[in-house]
Amino acid sequence: MKQGNTIVIDPVTRIEGHSKITLHLNEDGRVEEARFHVTQFRGFEKFCEGRPFYEMPSLMARICGICPVSHLIASAKACDSLLAVRIPPTADKLRRIFGLAQVLQSHALSLFYLSSPDLLLGMDADPAKSNLFGVAEKNPELARDGIRLRQFGQQIIERLGGKRIHPAWIVPGGVSEPLTATNRDAILDALPEALSIVERTLEWFKSTMENFREEIASFGNFPTMFMGIVKQDNGLTFYDGKLRIVDASGKVVADSLDPTCYSDYIGEKVEPWSYMKSAYYKPLGFPDGVYRVGPLARLNVADRCGTPLADQELAEFHELQRTAVLSSFHYHHARLIEMLYCVERMERLLNDAEILSPHVRAVAEPNALEGVGACEAPRGTLFHHYKIDDQGLIRWVNLVIATGHNNLAMNRSILQVAKHFVRGHHLTPGMLNRVEAVIRAYDPCLSCATHALGQMALHIQLLSPNGEVLDQVARG
Amino acid sequence: MPRVLIIAYGNPLRSDDGIGWLVAGELRSRLASPEVSVLQLHQLLPEVAEAVSRADSVIFVDASRDGEPGELRCQPVTAPSMKASFSHQLSPAEVVALAQELYGTSPQAFSVSLVGQCFEHGEGLSSSVTGRLPHLAAKVEGLTKQILSGGPVSLAEVKA
Repeated sequence: MKQGNTIVIDPVTRIEGHSKITLHLNEDGRVEEARFHVTQFRGFEKFCEGRPFYEMPSLMARICGICPVSHLIASAKACDSLLAVRIPPTADKLRRIFGLAQVLQSHALSLFYLSSPDLLLGMDADPAKSNLFGVAEKNPELARDGIRLRQFGQQIIERLGGKRIHPAWIVPGGVSEPLTATNRDAILDALPEALSIVERTLEWFKSTMENFREEIASFGNFPTMFMGIVKQDNGLTFYDGKLRIVDASGKVVADSLDPTCYSDYIGEKVEPWSYMKSAYYKPLGFPDGVYRVGPLARLNVADRCGTPLADQELAEFHELQRTAVLSSFHYHHARLIEMLYCVERMERLLNDAEILSPHVRAVAEPNALEGVGACEAPRGTLFHHYKIDDQGLIRWVNLVIATGHNNLAMNRSILQVAKHFVRGHHLTPGMLNRVEAVIRAYDPCLSCATHALGQMALHIQLLSPNGEVLDQVARG
Repeated sequence: MPRVLIIAYGNPLRSDDGIGWLVAGELRSRLASPEVSVLQLHQLLPEVAEAVSRADSVIFVDASRDGEPGELRCQPVTAPSMKASFSHQLSPAEVVALAQELYGTSPQAFSVSLVGQCFEHGEGLSSSVTGRLPHLAAKVEGLTKQILSGGPVSLAEVKA
């Protein structure tokens, strides 16, 4: 909808959570400013206060229905730190498999369910067809593959955790049950099919990139830093390691940062127009300290994946640009390479000689009053930070969520897309869809990032120089 | 492959929206048979279309907002034309349509719903709904038995 010189897209569709976008126009009808408003609020940090620390993994998993496993992992790691225990090696491996299965199903949801309509049908497609049904009609194999891949990831989560959503299998000190041989074999049997799906989707995606030259050039294609956790050998990981930050040229800005000391180098700013905080790299201040996280960032900071097929694809990915790969359109490509890595890595872990060991949990009383847990969630780096009292009750919680890290970059991306595609005072569905599509590339999870209550919807506003709303579009 | 797939869904943390979720356990014990499978879901997502495509008949069990609290409804589900705009969840008709589009099968489908009174945050059902839960279970059981008997299904004759 257009109101004065403001375009409002409300809600943003095909993303997780509720938001709106406002585009402010100048006297010539060109976009001058863009803002991504997150309009939901949840408050998890506050209502956990007073709860026993050991409840935290289960409570935190409720933040999100898409990536509860990442919250379980980060929360359990923070609790491990409160217990001051080193979890059994098999528990460590099982948590990794759990996390990889979740990344696989979450990436599948993002790519196949939410973004494939744009990629298959085009950015200017009839909005009534830009959904999974439209994909099913034009390319049923692609739609079936998406469903199968997501099903595959969820079935692993169910086999390990007992249920698909909000499983409570990961606990402080390890996991609650060992893996059975039956479940291991069932997962291993299904891996080749998953691998084939990812490989053919990757080929299909690469073949479509030629159709999106303009989008690649304008979808968040600007210099920023990139941050992610890497292994000690600088390889890709989702579970544990050191934080690494590279700049737009690909040069390492900071390396071997301890994730548990995140507050030394990451600041969070609250803006009056959004419930989502904006994270920035403290040494460069706000807003110069803008960085991106998630699949694109992970592949920019990692030297290698550590599995043969993913490494082959990573080498090709790094050829896209001599510097770091900058366009946020390439989040999709990075997501597919990570899916390949997930399948390969799971196979390796499941074939580990110790994977069926019954020793999966370390038991202890709290031995520290403060703990931090960090991991790579599907959408980027995730921190859980807790303080407890002598009775083990939570006194303070801070969550730094992937989507919050990307907030500044998402706002700049919307501005770049809007400046490139919005002309005059008339809105077209294709223009609005591109503004939404750049957000989808980041795959934001607003339920996670705002600790807020609700679902995602979008609102784009076109504002005049005097703040009058010229046009707006609202959904949800 | 089950002959009858029962999909009981809803959110048990939103009071009466949990009707489907809560009745699933009862249905599993009443209809324990290799020919019947009961799925308990929070919402209908595209993945469920694959399971639907493998069944002969599907019964969706859910809470409804439309009508008098406690009112029980049983009706056939027909696939709509492919115009639905998928976001985060599908309707029973859209699930059936997706199964048809992607897997080429079109099982006969029914929707059995109980009208709820309260959909606010909270566990447990409102009083006007609690007493009707056995009727809902009986309705689904009756419908399943009619389907398994192999004859034409008459919704009017399904006892609650």
